[in-house]
Amino acid sequence: MIGQLIVEGLAIGACYGLMAIGVVIIYKTSEVVNFAQGEMAMFSTFIAYHILSYYHYPFWLALIITMVFAILLGMFIEFAFLRPAKEPTALGLIVITLGAEMLLMGLAGWKWGAEQKYFEIPMSFNVTHEPIKGVIISDWAIGVFVIAAILMTLLYLFFKYTRVGVAMKATQQNKNAAKIMGVRVERMFSLAWGLSSLMGAIAAMFFASRATLDPNFMMEPFLRAFAAAVLGGLMSIPGVLIGGGLLGLIENFFGYVWPEWKPIVAFLVIVLVLCVRPSGLFAKHYIKKV
Amino acid sequence: MKIKRTLFAVALAIVCIFVLAVDASAGRPGFDKKEIRIAQWGPQTGPAAPWGSVARGSAIPFNLVNEEGGIHGRKIKYFIRDDQYNPAQTKAVVKELVERKGIFAFVGGVGGACGMAVKDYLAKNKVILFSPSTAITEYVVPTQKYLFATYPLYQDEGSIITKYLVEKMGFKKIGFFYQNDAYGKNGLEGCKQRLATYGMKLVAEIPVEPGEKDLASQMLKFKKSGAEAVILWVNPTTAVISLKTCATIGYKPQWVSSNTLSDYPLMYKISGGLFEGVITGAFAPPPDSDDPLLTKYREAAKRMVPEERWGTFFMAGILFAEPLVEALKRVGPNLSTEACLKELNSLKDFKGIGPVVNFNENCHQGTDSVQIQKCGPGASYILLQDWTPNDLATWKKK
Repeated sequence: MIGQLIVEGLAIGACYGLMAIGVVIIYKTSEVVNFAQGEMAMFSTFIAYHILSYYHYPFWLALIITMVFAILLGMFIEFAFLRPAKEPTALGLIVITLGAEMLLMGLAGWKWGAEQKYFEIPMSFNVTHEPIKGVIISDWAIGVFVIAAILMTLLYLFFKYTRVGVAMKATQQNKNAAKIMGVRVERMFSLAWGLSSLMGAIAAMFFASRATLDPNFMMEPFLRAFAAAVLGGLMSIPGVLIGGGLLGLIENFFGYVWPEWKPIVAFLVIVLVLCVRPSGLFAKHYIKKV
Repeated sequence: MKIKRTLFAVALAIVCIFVLAVDASAGRPGFDKKEIRIAQWGPQTGPAAPWGSVARGSAIPFNLVNEEGGIHGRKIKYFIRDDQYNPAQTKAVVKELVERKGIFAFVGGVGGACGMAVKDYLAKNKVILFSPSTAITEYVVPTQKYLFATYPLYQDEGSIITKYLVEKMGFKKIGFFYQNDAYGKNGLEGCKQRLATYGMKLVAEIPVEPGEKDLASQMLKFKKSGAEAVILWVNPTTAVISLKTCATIGYKPQWVSSNTLSDYPLMYKISGGLFEGVITGAFAPPPDSDDPLLTKYREAAKRMVPEERWGTFFMAGILFAEPLVEALKRVGPNLSTEACLKELNSLKDFKGIGPVVNFNENCHQGTDSVQIQKCGPGASYILLQDWTPNDLATWKKK
């Protein structure tokens, strides 16, 4: 039973982690917590659903189109909603993201209705393997682990070795200095939003295939992902993936022993981490000196 | 300064006109010589929109009555208002209808919190609330003069389902997975009450919050408990996640559920076929039943609203409205709210497409019966047990 709890906890934790990476990418670049993250992911998943259900394209083609759409959606939201804000404060920008969240949820409800939809990915929860006696792992869980590992590696390489990645990091560290050095910071913001939206969309497709697809389906996973991001550290991409895994494990073990307390574990974690280590478990703790 | 004062005076006058206009129309009777005005709130948009078909279903018996010339010369004028499953919206739309249109009775009305938000207001305005589309004990205990319910209480349904599982299917180990609110807890109470009569206990009872997406630990706990049957008192999404999670962990109990999951085509579709074999309670007969009255409604719906899916919740709207139509017919030409209440209170063994309905002055819960059905191949309905009352129903003794 313990082995099964570990597998399930890590699998759902990897999903939280993927979603949380999206939160972190935006936060790293612009220090804004994007509360529309879940709904951006939901909307992109609906696009995939639409392509699969109405145009009957093969999944991989639908996935590529959805990924492109997700990037464009993220960039559009940054361009159309956040960029026009005059002398924005962090709170003002957060409120704008809340507005975008409502808008996307309303649009999805209008276009696809509130009724739950069935969403399937090739890595099915139904196909299972038993590598160790008593521990069953599904294709879905294997898919989450593999995709999370690949994306993690790609992001690491992107931020470490590409000019754009370095420029994005520079933008986060000092916007004005980055500007002086020739970095087009607005583009970096757009790119960060696009990248974040892409990560969210991939995570949301895993969530939808495990549950159902409807306009509200990402509200709860987003909160869990946010908890994972706080746990891992809002500035650390590997940290949030580990944070997601930890959260998945904590929730599953806690939920097994005290199921009635399971829903609040994530929020207890946020409070505890904020009290003990405000920057998260894996992020460097900076103190601004005046 | 003068302009400001003038503007203020004009604004004040407008406000006064609106306030007076609303007051003047408050308490407007819900009928006249030509029509009886009946209304229903229900989520036509928003997260609970799939249940909006209840309100649209109620239009069928009203339209049929109107096609036959109305009730003693009066046509039924039926209003549907979208409250988006939001009690604040429900309050607004109900107030608007009562005070602007003048409503004789509200029928159906999805949402426990929505109904609770307006039931006292309706009683104060002497408007009948007939058969709200939720089972809430507070609706019927204590008995309220203007409120009548036909939706079977979850406690009764939990008890009847458990009896079926133990006596007909011979299950010894039963688990219960319930939404952590009044809906889930009432079902759980009924189940435990029934099990106690056999000297049995649940092997696992696990609560769940409606939005939870990861149910692995809960399902593993059921698996560990050895439950042969797991009763679900949850929403459709939670049910689907439960089924999918158990498919992953290799656990195959007999799934059983309350009537809230009895829309098999929907459940079958969103679970990718995993819903096949699930047993549920049901407040409506199978949609493809060949009952003559049901066939009449089905044909009427096909003619009147061909775009509408003929499903359980659409039918629920019909069966919620039927006893009210019957009472209005029995009142005769001298219609009044009191006369209608008198007829409702004396309704005995009324049989529409739902269970037999009985009311009296001391008891406004019209039924304690449910059917037991099973989701067959391709989301077909298999009737396992016809209308069955709950011999342990506590409200009958109150």
